[in-house]
Amino acid sequence: MFLQLLLSGIAFGSLYALIALAMVIIYKTSEVPNFGQGEMAMLSTFVAFMLLDTYGHSFFVSFSGALVFAAFLGVFLEFVFLRRAKDPNILSLILITLGFEMILYGVASWKWGADQRDLSFPVSDFDLVNIGPAVISYLNLATLLVTLVLMVLLFLFFRYTKVGIAMKATQQNPMAARINGIRVNRILSVTWAMSSTIGAVAGMLLAPVATLDPNLMLEPLLKGFASAVLGGMTTLVGAALGGYMLGIIENLFGGYVSLEFKSIVAFGIIVLVLCFRPSGLFAKHYVRKV
Amino acid sequence: MDMKRDYYEDIQLLDSKVLWFWFLMLIAALATFPFIAPTYYVYMANYMAINVIVTIGLNILVGYTGQISLGHAGFFAIGAYGTVMLMNLLHFPFLLALVAAALIAAFFGFILGLPALRLEGPYLAIATLGFGMAITQVIGRWELFGGRMGVEAPALSFFGIPVTTDLGRYFITATIAFVMVLGARNLMKTRVGRAFIAIRDSDIAAETMGVNLVYYKTLAFAVSAFYTGIAGGLFAFLLGFISPSTFNFILSIYFLAFVIVGGLGSIFGSVMGGIVMTWLLLELDKIQELPFIGGMLISFSENFMTVAGLPNISSIIFGLIIVLLVIFEPLGLYGFWIRTKIYWKTWPF
Amino acid sequence: MNEAFFSVENLCISFGGLMAVDHVSFSVNKGFIFSIIGPNGAGKTTIFNCISGLYKPSSGTVFFQGEDITGLKPHRIATKGIARTFQNIELFSRMTTMENLMLGRHIHMKTGVLSGATFYRRGSKAAREEIRHREHVEKIIDLLDLQSARNQFVGSLPYGTQKLVELGRALAVEPKLLLLDEPSAGMNSEEKQDLVFWIKDIQDELGITILLIEHDMKMVMDISDRVLAINFGRPIIEGVPEEVQRHPDVLKAYLGEDETIGDAA
Repeated sequence: MFLQLLLSGIAFGSLYALIALAMVIIYKTSEVPNFGQGEMAMLSTFVAFMLLDTYGHSFFVSFSGALVFAAFLGVFLEFVFLRRAKDPNILSLILITLGFEMILYGVASWKWGADQRDLSFPVSDFDLVNIGPAVISYLNLATLLVTLVLMVLLFLFFRYTKVGIAMKATQQNPMAARINGIRVNRILSVTWAMSSTIGAVAGMLLAPVATLDPNLMLEPLLKGFASAVLGGMTTLVGAALGGYMLGIIENLFGGYVSLEFKSIVAFGIIVLVLCFRPSGLFAKHYVRKV
Repeated sequence: MDMKRDYYEDIQLLDSKVLWFWFLMLIAALATFPFIAPTYYVYMANYMAINVIVTIGLNILVGYTGQISLGHAGFFAIGAYGTVMLMNLLHFPFLLALVAAALIAAFFGFILGLPALRLEGPYLAIATLGFGMAITQVIGRWELFGGRMGVEAPALSFFGIPVTTDLGRYFITATIAFVMVLGARNLMKTRVGRAFIAIRDSDIAAETMGVNLVYYKTLAFAVSAFYTGIAGGLFAFLLGFISPSTFNFILSIYFLAFVIVGGLGSIFGSVMGGIVMTWLLLELDKIQELPFIGGMLISFSENFMTVAGLPNISSIIFGLIIVLLVIFEPLGLYGFWIRTKIYWKTWPF
Repeated sequence: MNEAFFSVENLCISFGGLMAVDHVSFSVNKGFIFSIIGPNGAGKTTIFNCISGLYKPSSGTVFFQGEDITGLKPHRIATKGIARTFQNIELFSRMTTMENLMLGRHIHMKTGVLSGATFYRRGSKAAREEIRHREHVEKIIDLLDLQSARNQFVGSLPYGTQKLVELGRALAVEPKLLLLDEPSAGMNSEEKQDLVFWIKDIQDELGITILLIEHDMKMVMDISDRVLAINFGRPIIEGVPEEVQRHPDVLKAYLGEDETIGDAA
C-alpha cells in the first residue's frame, strides 16, 4: 500500500515537477510568475490532438509539431505583450500573465468547446509493470523517465552550453549581462520558448490520464505553481523536488487520510511552509535594505 | 500664519453647492431609474452594485495596501453561503445575517492576512489562491451546505416586507452599495486609509513612523473580506441559487480585472470598473445577437471554431483588456477620467 | 544603571559572519546634536537600523530615557518617541506632502475603521481629529517652507524638497529623539545652509535631541555637540568635533592609507 502510493505519488509529482520547472525557468530570468503556463500547455496539447486526430499525422509528427507550436507561442506572448510593459511591478506581471490565461482559455474553448476528448497515446495507461509489491502503468513509467531525461538535459544545458550560461548570467544580473554583450532580449525569447515547450510536454503526458478539455491544466498548473513555491521560485532543483514532494504528500494523504480533501492539502502545506520559510524550502530569503 | 485654512475641506465629500446639487440629482436619478427601466436593466443594475462593492473591497487590498489576492471568490462564497445558511438554519433576519456573514468573511480575511504578513509577490498570490480553492472545495463537500448541488436562497423579506422582485432587491442592493462606497471613500481619507497607502508605498517607512504592520496588513485583509462578504450575500439573492462551482478561480481573476479596469487605488475608479465590466460581462454573453458583428462571428465560428464555444469570446476579450490596460494605462478608467477632466478644463485651448 | 538620555551599549550585529557593527557604545545627552561619521560601509546606517528596530542586534542594548528598548518592533520604538529619516528617501510617493506628514501623526491619532468610515459632518469625531492634526502639520509645513509642495504628490517633487518632506514627516511624529541619515545628501549649498539653520532650530526651539549621520564634514563640525567616528563597524574615537577631527585614525580612515586595511585585518 505505502509503496504503491509512493510510486504513483512520484509519477504525479513528476508532472508537477515539469510544470514547476517551466515556471521557474521564466521566473528566474525575468521575475515573471507565469500564470499562463497551464493554458499555454493546454493549447499545445490541443494542437497535438488536432494534428493527430483531425489531420491524421503520425504520433511523432504531431507531438513534435505541438512542441514547435509551444515554443513559438511562448516567444510570441513574451515578445508581443510582456516586452511592451514598461517598468512593470510584480502585480502587473501577475496580471498580464493572468490575462494570457484568460485569452488562451477562451481561444481553446471557442475552438474545441467544452467536449471531453481522448488524446490517444502510444504508451498505454492500462498495461502495468510490477515493481516489487507495487505496480506502475507504462504511461506513468514513461512520464517518470521523460521527466528525468528532461531534467538531466536542463542541467547539462545550464552547465555547458553558451546560451545556458548566458541565461544564468541574465538571471543573476541583467544589466551586467547586457553590458557584457549578452543580448538579453534574445535570452528572454529562448527562455519563454524553452519553458513553454517543457510545459507542453507536461500537458501531453497528462492528457491521456485526464480528459482533454480546456480545463485540463487548471488544477495541474496550480499544483505545479505550488510545487515551485514550495521548493522556492528561484531554484530549478528545488522546484523539481517541490513537485515530487507535493505529489507524494498528496497521494499519501489521499490514501491514508481523506481522498475527498486530497487537493486541498497541497495548499495547506504551502501556506504552512511559507509561514516558516517565506521563500520556499530550498531558496534563500532576501530582505530589502534601506 | 497669515491665512486661515478650513481643513474640513480637505476631507469633506462635497465642497461646493454645485457638487451638492449634482449629488442630490444622482440620488434622485438612482431612485427613479428602476421605475422607468425594463426589468432586465434593473437586474443588471443590481449586478453592477454588487460588483462595485467587491471591486472596492479588493481595491482596498490590492490598490491601496499593495497586497495581491487571487482568492477573493472564497470571501465572496463565505458571504453568500454565510447569509443563506444563517437565515435557513438559525432564522436570522436578512440584514443581520448579511452583516454576520460578512464579519465571518472578515474573520477569515484576518486569518489569511497572518501568513500574508511575511509573503510577497508570487508567494502571496499562491497562498491566497490556495485559500480560495480550499473554501470552495470544503463547501462543495459539506452536505450541510448542499454539497455540489448547491443551495437555494431563502425568501427575502426586509423588516417584514417581502421582497420578491428585482425592483425590491434593487433598493436594498443599491442602498447598501451607496453606503459602502461612501464608507470606503471616507476610510481612505482618514487615518486607517493613510496607513494602508503608506504600507503600499514604503512599508519600512510606515513602520518606523509608528504604523503597526501586523495590525494594518491583517486589517486590510479583514476590511477587504468584509466588503466582499457583503457583496457575496447580496449575490446569493440576485441569483436565488448558489453552488460551489460559481465561486471558482476564474471569478477571482474577474474581480481583479474589475479593479484593474477601474484603476488601482481609486474608489471612484472602482465604481466605474464595477459598472463597466458588469455591463461588458452581461453583454458579451449574447454577443451573437449583436447586429452585423454577431452574424460575422457566427459564420467565422462555423468555419473555423465552434458555435457552442462562442460565448467564450468574453474570456478572450477580458484577457485582452487586462493585458492591454496593464501595459498601456495602468491607472485604468480612472486615468482616462482624470485626463478627460484636464482636457475639458483647458478646452478649447 | 545609565543616567543618559539615550545610550547604546556594546552594540553588535553581524551579517553572515561579517561584523557590520562591532561593540559600538555611546551616549547622548538631552538636547545635544550627536553625529556619527565614517567612510561608506562603516556601519552607520546599520546602527540607525538597530536603534529604530528594523534590525535585531546580535548583542548589546539600546537605552532610551532609562528604558531598555533593544529589539522592540519599529512601531513600538516610534511610540517611545524616536523618529528617523532615510538615506535613500523612503517617502510615500503617491501621497501628497500633507498626507505624508499626516501619516507622521499616526501614533497621536485614534480614528479607527468604523469612525473613519462613517464621519459625515464637520463635528464628527473623526473629522474633528483630522482637522486638529492638519492644523498641527500646517505648522511644520510653515516651519520648513513647504507651502508650495503642500498638495503635490511627493514623487514628483525635486530631490532636495523630498528630503525636507522626510524631515517634516519625522517631526510630525513629535519625537524626543530624531535620527537623521545623511539629510544633506543631494542638496545644493544653498539648501544645505537652510538645512543647518533648521536643524539648529529643531534642537533649540523644539528641544529635540538629534542623532546625525552626515558626510559633509563642515556641517558636522559646525553643528555637532559630540562626534563619534567609526570604521569597519568599530568605534575609532568619540569626543568634541575638534578632537575627533584631529585624531590620526580618523584622518587615516578618510584618506585611506594601506595600514588602515592592514590594521583592520
